[in-house]
Amino acid sequence: MKILVTVKRVPDPETSIKVKPDGTGIVTDNIKWVVNPFDEIGVEEALRIKEKVAGSEVVLVSIGDKVAQEQLRTGLAMGADRAILVLADDLDPLGVARVLAKLVDDEKPDLIIMGKQAIDDDSNAVGQMLAELLGWPQGTFASQIELSDDQKSASVTREVDGGLETLSFPLPGVITADLRLNEPRYASLPGIMKARKKELKEIPVADLGVDVTPRVTITKMEPPPSREAGKIVASVEELVNLLHTEAKVI
Amino acid sequence: MIEWTEQHVMIRDAMRKFVETEIKPNLEELEHGDSPPYDVIRKMFTSFGMDEAARATFEKRIARERAAEKNGGVAENGKRREGDIDTAGMQLIPIIELCRYCPGIVTAMGVSMGLTASAIMSKGTIRQKERWALPLLTFEKIGAWAITEPGSGSDAFGGMKSTARRNGDGYVLNGNKTFITNGPYADTIVFICKLDDGSEAKDRKMLTFVLDRGMAGLNQSAPMRKMGLHSSPTGELFLDDVQVEKERLLGETEDSPARAGTKASFSMERAGVAAMALGIVEQCRELSVDYARTRVAFGKPIGEFQLIQLKLAKMEVARMNLQNIIFRQIEIIASGKSLDLAEASACKLYAAQAAMEVALEAVQLFGGNGYMAEFQVEQLCRDAKVLQIYAGTDEIQISQIARSLLAH
Repeated sequence: MKILVTVKRVPDPETSIKVKPDGTGIVTDNIKWVVNPFDEIGVEEALRIKEKVAGSEVVLVSIGDKVAQEQLRTGLAMGADRAILVLADDLDPLGVARVLAKLVDDEKPDLIIMGKQAIDDDSNAVGQMLAELLGWPQGTFASQIELSDDQKSASVTREVDGGLETLSFPLPGVITADLRLNEPRYASLPGIMKARKKELKEIPVADLGVDVTPRVTITKMEPPPSREAGKIVASVEELVNLLHTEAKVI
Repeated sequence: MIEWTEQHVMIRDAMRKFVETEIKPNLEELEHGDSPPYDVIRKMFTSFGMDEAARATFEKRIARERAAEKNGGVAENGKRREGDIDTAGMQLIPIIELCRYCPGIVTAMGVSMGLTASAIMSKGTIRQKERWALPLLTFEKIGAWAITEPGSGSDAFGGMKSTARRNGDGYVLNGNKTFITNGPYADTIVFICKLDDGSEAKDRKMLTFVLDRGMAGLNQSAPMRKMGLHSSPTGELFLDDVQVEKERLLGETEDSPARAGTKASFSMERAGVAAMALGIVEQCRELSVDYARTRVAFGKPIGEFQLIQLKLAKMEVARMNLQNIIFRQIEIIASGKSLDLAEASACKLYAAQAAMEVALEAVQLFGGNGYMAEFQVEQLCRDAKVLQIYAGTDEIQISQIARSLLAH
């Protein structure tokens, strides 16, 4: 079966993020970039399916700047077969979903696996939008995925408020990966060597003929307010008094 | 080569992630507990497919050797291909990354799959390579390379007392070896000794045997306590009338050129030390820069004081020099050659001294904190010292460089 997996280039979650003084975005100097961790889980899941289902193909897709090649190469080194990079600047979630829908028309995958969200803007929107645009069933926040023996349907366990929910639906479909779906492998050294020779196709977004005019624009970014220093009180009486009169919580 | 390739950077990032997930959280146990490092090394081998890659390389080489044997010639090394620079880096980058936290692990790993396996690969018969070298290269088994004795270190050949006596078709081995990396846990031991055929000690031939753990008369000591490198078990070996068949004599002939093979091992070992030094220096520099930025004294970050700046600048100079040495080594490996012994000695001498100097400066920069085990520079400083002692002391490197200069 053919599986399409998204790979977004995002700042390393360990990096400390600074907002630009003019509020137009974040400072990108000296930031380490990685594969969105939820997408990495998606790549791992696709590779596990490929290992079970003979003749499967795992195709990676990224949308963004040319440097996103690095993240695609990482996915190829993990074991994906080929990659597509759509060159585009700052699309909003609907724009991303439309680009992906167009690629799905061309590639005709049996399954799309995406991270449930990218850890940069945490929109958590593209998977759902893409399923809607394609008219495909969706299983979001997957913590377990099981395919039927004939790979015609999927059973997805989702982490929802208050417990686990299991959905079954026919394929093709869209699945978004949650944290506990799996633990991604390291790219092996021979895998890294082979990645260089695998196909990585670049497509300018204009060539796709998709309307990517943003519906959402970012007007301003600001860091969360810094926490103020605490206060040390001398007695329980004083504490109760302050909680009542100052904090007004009791 | 003037900078790391894209492939090198990917290897570095993957390896760094492994080290930070698998080694950094367990550093205390590896360094101060009595857990040997072999499980984490094996996990690294399987996670990165290093075991399978080693097996594939081994099989190709054996196939070449078999073909050459049939044609009555010597197997040629493969010609340089596109991508060899990447492959050559693959050998050194894991060493650099591991040494940022745990030079001991590199020592344990390097002695087993480097020195021990290489000794068998350079002098053994095809049958011996398949039997003993392959499981070391894939790290299924742990190897030790036994040359040093209580009475002979740098003068390993001259002062060696361990003996092999002919006994029917086989030999009887006797002797004590010390400071043997992996000695306490080794499954496979390469044992170097002199053939006692009644001739003068100085005229005796060097012979190399392969021993297995548990052979009658072979005793492996418990780990010895030492200054640093705590995650690399070091021990003694005692051989008391160990009976061996000829199939355990490397090359299966007394006429294999033992010393030449040993010198090739020395050369490779010295090249590895430069990569180790780079890891230690990179880590000390990074920790020191962070500390200089955040530690405040006399109302300002200590990085604003010129004496601290001097230390940071020296660390950066050492890092750049070591990196250039590594680039040259990658070029040489990629071209299918190896450094000659004098150049390997020069690289090793500089690398060991640079690592020691940078680590001492890092401890000094951290002040009281630097002397405490809680801050990593203390460990790196203890670990760095060994680089000036093992794989040939600084003094031996100096004499080898000078001898090569004066020979012409």
